Amino acid sequence: MTGEQERSLEGWDPGVVDGPDLAYVVERAFDYRGDVTVVRRDGAEIVGYLFNRNVDVAEPFVEMFERNGGEPITIPYASISSIRFTGRDTAAGNSYAAWLRSREAAKVMQPASGV
Amino acid sequence: MSVPVSQMWTVGTYVLKQRLKRRRRYPLVLMLEPLFRCNLACAGCGKIQYPAHVLRKHLSVEKCLAAVEECGAPMVSIPGGEPLMYPEIGRLVKELVARRKYVYLCTNAILLKEKLEAGLFTPSKYLSFSVHMDGLEPEHDEAVCREGVFAEAVEGIREALRRGFRVTTNTTLFDGASAMRMQMFFDEMMDLGVEGMMLSPGYSYSKAPDQEHFLRRQKTNELFSKMLSNPKRRWKFNQSPLFLQFLMGKWDFECTPWGNPTYNLFGWQRPCYLLQEGYAASFKELMETTRWEQYGHKSGNEKCKDCMVHCGYEPTAVNYTFTSWKGLKATVAATVAGKL
Repeated sequence: MTGEQERSLEGWDPGVVDGPDLAYVVERAFDYRGDVTVVRRDGAEIVGYLFNRNVDVAEPFVEMFERNGGEPITIPYASISSIRFTGRDTAAGNSYAAWLRSREAAKVMQPASGV
Repeated sequence: MSVPVSQMWTVGTYVLKQRLKRRRRYPLVLMLEPLFRCNLACAGCGKIQYPAHVLRKHLSVEKCLAAVEECGAPMVSIPGGEPLMYPEIGRLVKELVARRKYVYLCTNAILLKEKLEAGLFTPSKYLSFSVHMDGLEPEHDEAVCREGVFAEAVEGIREALRRGFRVTTNTTLFDGASAMRMQMFFDEMMDLGVEGMMLSPGYSYSKAPDQEHFLRRQKTNELFSKMLSNPKRRWKFNQSPLFLQFLMGKWDFECTPWGNPTYNLFGWQRPCYLLQEGYAASFKELMETTRWEQYGHKSGNEKCKDCMVHCGYEPTAVNYTFTSWKGLKATVAATVAGKL
């Protein structure tokens, strides 16, 4: 894992963005494995998992599953003011190393067989 | 090879029909992920890192069946997540079998015995449990990050075989795998009585916790050559011999990323089972709007550089078998002689 991949965006608030900055933030949100809060230009906030974006259409959009359930919703780029990385990054951490450590610790704790 | 003749016939005629229709791109296996939830958290898996509300969701059977119809592939693989945790897995499999789709239900088998005892499934030539087994007991338990899983899987396999089900195994090989230990594993699986084994090198998911143990191309060739250059006749592989020869470095295939399209909660995944670069709302949209030229070994795409995974290269091997005399001859020779 590279250093860049190790750095989690959890808690990141890029502030109000538009144009290329918005595109950049949307890409990071699409890659993020936690919930985000999308702030619309009318001030409304939508919390959920952003799982898709499409810029190859006349009106670019993102798709989200809201945290409180329901079918996916579509939000046009043009109506987004900001995206905050508010949920826990579920891909962060180093669970393999942690598992190896706990496994080694368990072996040390076990009494030797035949004793 | 251990693929039943009826299944080979179905796939062969399907490929030929696509060629006659002059379809340039067509799917062979639909990877249908009805849920992301799993009862394991394997170090090499990048499929399950989602917020809890996403993990709680699953596709309806109706959505699954609509995707199957839309895609049209003759085989359906049900990975996940753990498909035996899908509340409607019995009904989904029954519907797929009724449609004469060859179903590979990919499971870690922790719940297999329980689900079989509950009468969820009926043996059929169209249904195979493809049990995740990453090697002998210590290697497997290490790969799935939990001790005792190998023993549970073996118990599930025995129960499925006892009840007359088709059972295969699927094994992902990572860096550090021992060819000799894998050969012992092949013996053990054959002793258990499974119909055949499926092998693939792992893919370095950017979201998987363990990034250090994925095989690179040369290492893949070396490991598979060592492991398979003198195969025992009793070892049966439920996959294309040309794909195994490709892993041994004997063929220079290119990826067929549309060969095993993936459908899940988010839609049709671009471009393949391993990379998540976006989602299309329909299979047609996936096929027509994905920039396929940007993927595959020769594309120069960094994410594809070292990939030799079955979902991209086995379709290439299968197509080569059924669309070229050289491929057909090599497949027949490997099957008859039992040599790779």
